[in-house]
Amino acid sequence: MIPGLPLDFVSPALLTALLALPALWWLLRLMPPRPRRIAFPPTRILFDIKPKEETPARTPWWLTALRLLLAALIILAAAGPIWKPAPAGMRASGPMVVLLDSGWASAASWEQRIRAANEIINRAENDRRPVALIASGAPQKDASLLRPGEARDALRLATPTPYTPVRADALAPLSQLLRQHADASVIWLSDGVDTGDGADFVKRLNEIAGDKITVVTGGIPTAHALKAPDNTAGGLTVKVLRADESAPANGTVRAHDLRGLALGEAPFSFKGGELETEARFDLPVEIRNDIARVEIANERSAGAVQLLDKRWRRRTVGIVSGGTVDTRQPLLSASFYLTRALGPFADVRTAESAAPSEAISHFIDQRLPVMILSDVGTIAPSAREKLERWIDDGGLLIRFAGPRLAAAEDDELVPVRLRRGGRVLGGSLSWEQPQHLGAFPRESPFHGLSVPEDVTVSRQVLAEPDGQLADRTWAALADGTPLVTSTKRGKGLLVLFHVAADTRWSNLPISGTFVEMLRKTIALAGTTAEEAPRPSAAARPTAHTIAPSRLLDGFGTLIPPGPTARPIPADFNEHASADHPPGFYGPPENFYAVNTLAAGDKLAPLDFGAIKVEPYRQAATIDLRAAMLAGVMLLMLADGLIVFWLSGGASRLAWRRAGTAALIAIAIFALGDGRGFAQSNTPAPAKPALSAADDFALRATLQTRLAYVVTGDSEVDNISRSGLEGLSLFLAQRTALEPGDPMGVDPARDELAFFPILYWPITPEAVKPTPEALAKIDAYMKQGGTILFDTRDAFASFGRGGGVSPALAKLREILSSLDIPELEPVPQDHVLTKSFFLLRDFPGRFATGKLWVEALPGPSAETETRPARAGDGVSPILITSNDFAGAWAINPDGQPLLPITQNEPRQREFAYRAGTNIVMYVLTGNYKADQVHAPALIERLGQ
Amino acid sequence: MNANRAITTNPVETAKQSAQRLVAAMPRLVLEARRVAASVFHGLHGRRRAGPGENFWQYRRFHSGEPASRVDWRRSARDDHLYVREREWEAAHTIWIWPDRSPSMDFCSKQGLEWKLDRALVLAFALGELLVRGGERVGIPGIMRPTANRAVIDRMAEAILHESGSPESLPPPFTAGPRDEICLLGDFWNPAAEVTSALATMASGGAMGHVAQIVDPAEETFPYGGRVEFLEPEGAGSITVGRAEMWREDYVRRIALHRDRIREEAARHGWGFMIHRTDRPASELLLALRARMGETRNAIVRQQIASRIPEAAA
Repeated sequence: MIPGLPLDFVSPALLTALLALPALWWLLRLMPPRPRRIAFPPTRILFDIKPKEETPARTPWWLTALRLLLAALIILAAAGPIWKPAPAGMRASGPMVVLLDSGWASAASWEQRIRAANEIINRAENDRRPVALIASGAPQKDASLLRPGEARDALRLATPTPYTPVRADALAPLSQLLRQHADASVIWLSDGVDTGDGADFVKRLNEIAGDKITVVTGGIPTAHALKAPDNTAGGLTVKVLRADESAPANGTVRAHDLRGLALGEAPFSFKGGELETEARFDLPVEIRNDIARVEIANERSAGAVQLLDKRWRRRTVGIVSGGTVDTRQPLLSASFYLTRALGPFADVRTAESAAPSEAISHFIDQRLPVMILSDVGTIAPSAREKLERWIDDGGLLIRFAGPRLAAAEDDELVPVRLRRGGRVLGGSLSWEQPQHLGAFPRESPFHGLSVPEDVTVSRQVLAEPDGQLADRTWAALADGTPLVTSTKRGKGLLVLFHVAADTRWSNLPISGTFVEMLRKTIALAGTTAEEAPRPSAAARPTAHTIAPSRLLDGFGTLIPPGPTARPIPADFNEHASADHPPGFYGPPENFYAVNTLAAGDKLAPLDFGAIKVEPYRQAATIDLRAAMLAGVMLLMLADGLIVFWLSGGASRLAWRRAGTAALIAIAIFALGDGRGFAQSNTPAPAKPALSAADDFALRATLQTRLAYVVTGDSEVDNISRSGLEGLSLFLAQRTALEPGDPMGVDPARDELAFFPILYWPITPEAVKPTPEALAKIDAYMKQGGTILFDTRDAFASFGRGGGVSPALAKLREILSSLDIPELEPVPQDHVLTKSFFLLRDFPGRFATGKLWVEALPGPSAETETRPARAGDGVSPILITSNDFAGAWAINPDGQPLLPITQNEPRQREFAYRAGTNIVMYVLTGNYKADQVHAPALIERLGQ
Repeated sequence: MNANRAITTNPVETAKQSAQRLVAAMPRLVLEARRVAASVFHGLHGRRRAGPGENFWQYRRFHSGEPASRVDWRRSARDDHLYVREREWEAAHTIWIWPDRSPSMDFCSKQGLEWKLDRALVLAFALGELLVRGGERVGIPGIMRPTANRAVIDRMAEAILHESGSPESLPPPFTAGPRDEICLLGDFWNPAAEVTSALATMASGGAMGHVAQIVDPAEETFPYGGRVEFLEPEGAGSITVGRAEMWREDYVRRIALHRDRIREEAARHGWGFMIHRTDRPASELLLALRARMGETRNAIVRQQIASRIPEAAA
């Protein structure tokens, strides 16, 4: 490094080459620019000419100077100059302590932060100062001073933590270090994000280090974070946070499923100084339920990832109501309360005007995972069996009490035995007051919900006390009466709310707790017996724990869990920490997601108070090589121009100028002429140029033509063309139709509407047409065109034993995208067999294949006697495998091109006749069918 | 390219390269020469007439008064007449063609259609072919003895290819017979004094001659500018010119002077001097040469006939 100048060289040894510059100066002064050497026979004549003015033998000094500059620049550029502006100011001596924020908030710009740290270490190395490195995410117990090389290694190993680190942990080693080395200076590479403990940390840091601290912050955008994904009825929303306005205001949130496939994208944007906004995925609920990971696109940080588990899955809940008033008073009915309460997290289907048993069967058939029976008393035995089976298979049945349930006899579909009748509190016949809710037991899934003060239950059904009652109780009243009980049945779960789902028995249905209780309950749907965190853990008071399976690293990538990650308790509901890093816990089929940020977390800009603040330098070092080499190029160009000028280049250009001028003149003339031509052309409609499409249209329409689809296989196309030529010739000889030369068409490019029939040979190698081409083909077929597909492999598929030949497979692939009517082999009475010749079958080169057409409506009594049938219109599709074109194909001299399998002259003749019939059929439609009836019609007319 | 095909310092290498190039180009040149000769041949009449010679020409009836020794008895024995066997006239007339093959001919500028050497060879071959068809004998001074062989082009090409030693700009000193004719095809950029003395030597025997200077257009117009070093391809040195465009006028004047001196010397011996540029078709010069040769030959024939009449009379 050059003292005074923040300039460094990659290979400073090369700079010694600058010493050679004086020698170069001398050489350059000596050597005039080299003349062009031209062998010129009459040179001896030139010897006699008295010399004219000469260029100076020595190079002018300024040209030499220019070239010296050029050489010096090349040497400098080769030495690899790097411009290094001075990093953050600090003390000139003493150890340097780098305090690195290594939480998830640093991850997105980790490289810049590491580069900044590296620069500080480099500078310490230059100044021969020891370095200490303290990362806030993983603070060592005692930070020691390192040599810069060691510090660089330590830095290389540092990774951002996926959770929010406790910054205060770094204070102990720091204060210890500062006590040992009073002259040390501290540089805090901060991420600028306050996750709650920021102000406290800054205050304590100030106490420890005081004026020794320089904070590097800003200059690079701060992190975004995601929190609180919510799968609402309309879509999945997730909150996007930022610490301050330096983070980009717009971005995209992406949703992935478990395998990492992208399911959707949602934009977000912060307005003004907002620190929190929302992104919303409008996806169908089935897709939303597959979302396992939501992340901010292009931000690699654990904070920008939210993992979703089954708790965010929206369930479809079927509600069956036993009441009849529901339809009369819809806004007071239990269904209404339930629908509203479930709405935020589940999709609700109500049984509309159906008997409960029917509705239950209906919902089971729909495979709903959760069903709510609200005050359904007796269930028909068949439905009940089904319902029991459904629960055993994993269904979640939630029942609500009510008058009918209370009145029902022998209802086995309840978790606890019920006492008949129920009890009424606070009524005129009771001296007890309506009861409040008691605390939720630890084992209950409701544990953790706040117990509402204002919920009172005035009437409920009572459970018969027995030994299991306590285990099965999820919620009880203040006096201990069970309010919600549950039991497992097979793989499923049966839950009973001992109150009605409307407000007649309690005001629970209109409290927020009701929603949460339902949410917790429905979250259990579809879980199997073993994994379900369930309240029967009386024997295991230490709540059952879930081991980590895949965890996020600081960059938001899923990795196998490390040794320090500990299992989470089953009811873990906080943000991640060092012990419980974010990620998926539990087995893959029933995992539990822990996220970096929980719903309650907030981001705020870090307030540094009185501490000196410096921004990160984005481009901390500038490689000057590119600039220098560009300068070298410019100088070379200048030198070249000067030499060109010195050696009389300008005058040499002069004699060329005439030619150039002529060229320009020609060009201008040509342009002008072209314009003139265009102008003269526009008013005169004499001969407008035909576009290719117009030309094609004219050729196709001036004469009736047969057409074939160009497959791209030249051999097949040649046979198609010569085949249609042969058929055209046959038609001209035998019928009134004299078609023009056949045309090849490309369905993707050409207009098809001009042709009555398209012959389409299928090759196994054919490329499936593009969707646009298929749309055109479909339109062509719909608008009356006929396509004759020929797989040309009747012979090949003969011994195949029913297998699908490659060409047929290709044909199926093509047809799979088209709207194809039902097909049948040409029946004996089809008009195709009579449209010109009387035919029994339709041979081509092969005779074994069948010709398939659109199926006709079955013969009716009226038509049975008729000799020919035809539907309305013409079959849009004909499929054969007999290789028609091969049989029709002729040489230019009229000789058949390809051999025929057997019966040479006869089968070829019949192939031509088949072709004739097909062409006549597509041209005349069912007219020929009517012709067949002509005798009958005439007879009917009485002639 | 405004230069020789190869500027190398090694003369052996240069010679080898140019020889290889010449060999490669020879079939093309021969064909070209035949083409040019064929296009010129039409409308010109050869020396097909009876006269002193080796080959049979025709039998004619014996005229009384002729020496009896002329009677061809074998033929006359067949019928009642006497016949004289006539031989084709073979004029003892030799034409020496000298195509300059020196390195200075190895030049073609952007304006030229062809290398000067190629043009000189094509002309030499075509002229040889024409003349042999016309009944003359053709030779190349120093390397090919005069011949009237029909395949004269091939002979000439072989002779040139087998020539030993580096070719010179001017023909070697040789003595041409008084009735011979010399045709020089070259650029004659040697100092005028050398050229004139060579002409004087050749003309000293009384031979007729034609000097055709084959030049590249660049050699006449001097289309150069800027700082240029001009090299003499035959090793006579080089000259560096600061601003070549300033030299053009002087150069053109010097060229004219040079030519005047050669033309003057040629005229003094009754020889013709022609200038041919390689951007013109080869047949142009060939026609001109043919026409001029016709004139001189007619003069010679007249001389010969005049000299034979007394002989016949005797």
